[in-house]
Amino acid sequence: MASTTYQRFNTRAGRAFDVVNVLLLVAVGLLAVVPFVYVLAGSLATEYEITTRPFFLWPHEITTDSYASILSSDIFLRAFVTTVVVTFVGTLVQLGLTALMAYPLSKVDLPGRRTIMMLVVFAMVFSAGMIPMFLVVKQLGLLDTYWALFLPMAINPFSLIIIKNFFQQLPIELQESATIDGANELQVLRHVVLPLSKPVLATFALFYAVGIWNDYMSPLLYLSDTSKWTLQMILRQVTASAQMSAEDINADVPPPAQGIKFAVVIVATIPVLLAYPFLQKHFAKGMLIGSVKG
Amino acid sequence: MSTVADVRAAPAAPSPPPAPPRRQRTLGRRMARYKWLFLMMLPGVVYFLLFQYWPMYGAQIAFKDYVPFLGIQGSEWVGLKHFTDFFSNPDFPRLLTNTLILAALGLLVAFPLTIVLALLLNELRLTILKRTVQTLVYIPHFLSWTVVVSLTGLLFAVGTGPLWTALNGIFGTSTDFLTDPDWFRPLILLQTIWKSTGWGTIIFLAALASVDQEQYEAAIIDGAGRWQRTWHITLPAIRPTIVVMLILQTGEILNTGFEQIYLMSNALNRSVADVFDTYVYFTGIEQGAYSYSTAVGLSKAIVGVILIFGTNWLAKRFNQQGIF
Amino acid sequence: MRTRRLAAPLALLATGSLVLSACSGGSGDDGGGEGGDLESLTFMSPYFSATPPEDDDAVGAALDELTGVDMDVQWVPNAEYGERTNVVLAGDDIPDVMVIQGKDQSFVSTAEAGGFWDLTEYLASGDYPNLVPENPEVQEAASVNGKVYGVYRARDVIRTCVIVRKDWLKNLGMEEPATTDDLMEVARAFTEDDPDGNGKDDTYGLIVPQWPGGIGSSSPYDSIETWYGAGNVWKDDGGELVPSFTTPEWRDAVEFEREIVENGYINPDYATMDPATWNEPFLNGKGGIIIDVQSRASQLAGLFKDEDPKTYDQKVALVDQLEGPNGKYTLPTEGYSGFLAVTKSGVKTEEQLKQVLEVLDTLNTAEGQNLITNGIEGDTYTVDDEGYLVVPEDQAEYQEQVAGSWAQLGMNVAGDKTYKAKPETKYDEELADERLELQAKGLETAVFNPAAPIVSETSMTQGAQLGLIMADARVQYLAGQIDDAGLDAAIQRWRESGGDAVIEEVNAKYEGR
Repeated sequence: MASTTYQRFNTRAGRAFDVVNVLLLVAVGLLAVVPFVYVLAGSLATEYEITTRPFFLWPHEITTDSYASILSSDIFLRAFVTTVVVTFVGTLVQLGLTALMAYPLSKVDLPGRRTIMMLVVFAMVFSAGMIPMFLVVKQLGLLDTYWALFLPMAINPFSLIIIKNFFQQLPIELQESATIDGANELQVLRHVVLPLSKPVLATFALFYAVGIWNDYMSPLLYLSDTSKWTLQMILRQVTASAQMSAEDINADVPPPAQGIKFAVVIVATIPVLLAYPFLQKHFAKGMLIGSVKG
Repeated sequence: MSTVADVRAAPAAPSPPPAPPRRQRTLGRRMARYKWLFLMMLPGVVYFLLFQYWPMYGAQIAFKDYVPFLGIQGSEWVGLKHFTDFFSNPDFPRLLTNTLILAALGLLVAFPLTIVLALLLNELRLTILKRTVQTLVYIPHFLSWTVVVSLTGLLFAVGTGPLWTALNGIFGTSTDFLTDPDWFRPLILLQTIWKSTGWGTIIFLAALASVDQEQYEAAIIDGAGRWQRTWHITLPAIRPTIVVMLILQTGEILNTGFEQIYLMSNALNRSVADVFDTYVYFTGIEQGAYSYSTAVGLSKAIVGVILIFGTNWLAKRFNQQGIF
Repeated sequence: MRTRRLAAPLALLATGSLVLSACSGGSGDDGGGEGGDLESLTFMSPYFSATPPEDDDAVGAALDELTGVDMDVQWVPNAEYGERTNVVLAGDDIPDVMVIQGKDQSFVSTAEAGGFWDLTEYLASGDYPNLVPENPEVQEAASVNGKVYGVYRARDVIRTCVIVRKDWLKNLGMEEPATTDDLMEVARAFTEDDPDGNGKDDTYGLIVPQWPGGIGSSSPYDSIETWYGAGNVWKDDGGELVPSFTTPEWRDAVEFEREIVENGYINPDYATMDPATWNEPFLNGKGGIIIDVQSRASQLAGLFKDEDPKTYDQKVALVDQLEGPNGKYTLPTEGYSGFLAVTKSGVKTEEQLKQVLEVLDTLNTAEGQNLITNGIEGDTYTVDDEGYLVVPEDQAEYQEQVAGSWAQLGMNVAGDKTYKAKPETKYDEELADERLELQAKGLETAVFNPAAPIVSETSMTQGAQLGLIMADARVQYLAGQIDDAGLDAAIQRWRESGGDAVIEEVNAKYEGR
């Protein structure tokens, strides 16, 4: 990233800033990660240790019991595979549809653009609610299909607006020269605009993927067939009980052990965190110069 | 990773403000071009009609006493009853005040912090360090509010929490931060910052990654310091993104989120913790009163639309790009 | 230019709406058999187990055989059950039989609009011997203004008790508390007299978590108030029903509670403690008294056993509800946890309804109850000579799943006929016996909520918010944020926010009965 040039023009003040900045951000990073480590430690600790030690980042005695009780069932494995596939396919579909719509909207001279943008903004602010959405999904025959897990929220108005704005900021010359060379708009999008927009596309791929991965409302409402359930739906039983009602407290069924709750958090988070570096790669690659050359 | 040589060799590609040059085109060519654009937009438009606008016929239950079994058509029409109930509610002024204060704190403190963090991250030169810190600051986004709130409880526990001890030591008090109404908003703000600042930088970092590196090179040659480069190159480059994010945020001003506030509220701080979203939960969702909660949602949406259009108009007046 | 700008989006809208109408025209009611015999029966039920049963579940297959119909269950995680119920009621392929968790607005309005079968007469006919309730007053309480829309899921009527650290009592040479005054004294001694003998001032008496419900949601405070004679949510005052918190006894009770708080005989985080961690201070030797359900005593004993199986029988004392200054009043539960209601859109004819009731009757036979609670006899469990349940180690997990899922369809209105596991030790047996004894004894002085069957319009819509007003005021009073005048003001606010309407509606229906 042209770092050699930077160093050549380094000043003392600049170096001081660098040191402070590194220290500051390392501190921020630690602050962000410590609670996660706490949850990780809790997921590996015995229930007795969790109830008797208030805060720890390393358990005295390591046990994988909490994980064993989540991971042991076949249903979990199936749900995991389902979720990975649905997230992958769903993200592609959602990102594709969003980019496809964002591109024409980035053309300021397009007739009707303003009207459509207003409709998009209104849809962003107002959502009709659960029951009407359920009825629509039902009418379209999507109940108990995997489509119901990503089609109903295929284009996030917020993402659409941001992506549209990114497209709008791209230099128009490249696109125009492509058009002059005889490319149609779809080809311009594919060969000129998308390669230039890798950082933003990677970002929204992550947004969409996390959205599908963490969603439990859609499977809850649209899937009554348990064999199609996703990971969050299975894990919900454990995570949701944090918001106890009076009846839950009085129930004969004791709340799930703390260790299992922690393990669930880890199991649900780690795959997304692991996927992240693959996307991060594209954040730097999207730079203008590289793209123009390539 | 482009080297200096690459940069020099690259053709000049300055990014001017996006004023599309209006060239002479024949009508036929323009229509051909629009045909493609409309065709590309079609799936998206169909999506919006199907999944965003079709369900909106359900919004009419705000004017009805909706019974799921009777259906939307079959339920009794009651006109503006739910709206008058909501606006004449004795708690309404308090709900509005609490909601606005929390939203304002988010907008004035958390939002700028996100930009600052993004800029600082951008200044990190060691790629490995930059990537690591980036990944670390995203992690809080993935922890649920339940986890965040229970951790807050641990840290501020009366008598045992490390932060309880430290803060009371500094102030020479024995405040219970978790129940003291004066501390409710600072705690909410603190949690919001911790959980969402890092994740929020993503969009700005994406914008920063698109900034033309050549401008930096030129600035360095001109002897511009780091601060000047940030002020004259980086900030202007991400200004459109900042403006858009700001506009979108104002539209969300009445949505404080439910889970965090619900989990942090208790009998002793409810006077400052009651917001529209928790109110709707107690009156609407928990009781299954859908008409009422839809009426509240509709009112909020109207305010949101007005705010978005208003700020967008303002942005345009100041020659910013706006969202449409 | 102007027309073209408008024309394009309009054209798009037109295309879109064509698609729309094409889609909406395509769907139809594919609901199953109209009239005729039922061959399959769809249930909807919450589950508590880690995962729901699979389609090929052994209990499911055995149930089909036992009931003679093809039973299909839609499982929903318990925490999300309410939401799912509301959405399902809005659709048109509603399950035939639904577990309804409570009399909330969507259920009551659906029932009153004719969405569920009124079972009152069918159940009273005696045609279904296993659906004749053991406790008719519980069936009454589960009704909507006297109309029975479902077969209730029976729960123990007396569950509240006082759980005390037995070893601390012994260290201090104290007796188990019997009255509310004793409670104050034990709480004082646990706080001030170093009950664990470690020479440090690091203990307190009562442990109370943040309570998520309103007044009358079986909180420790509600128990104390009932012991004082404030009634149970409502109190019959000369033929008229008044809310418990308007009685002088309630005031005395909250003053008693405030004394505990002011003296520091309670955990300092009583307003914020996460209820999921209620056991921890008791286990860690920080606090020594919990007022909650009896099953928590067994839970605590089990946790102590994990820690040290030799001394665990010295830690937990299960104590009866306390006598107040005005006599002995025992706080009962509602006696039910939701009910199984039969939908009219699923079950269309009276013939079919009778078939469904036959199936429910079968579920309540000893065979049915054991199948859905314990699993398959001789296969996943056996019964020993003394009539105790024996679950082989490799089936323990499966048995747990059955109990957390299929058992949710259990009603047991005519008595619980399931096999129980043999208590592992003498102490466990003692605890179990004591629970039974307290349950029998408590019935004599139980104070039932006189308004339980009554459904008031206003409390349907405002109830949650109203309940919060007084529950908050109570804690604010305990914390010293408000005084007696503040409590009066809260009651006034409650009245104005809809409370007066609730009182009127409840009394109108009470007199009419």
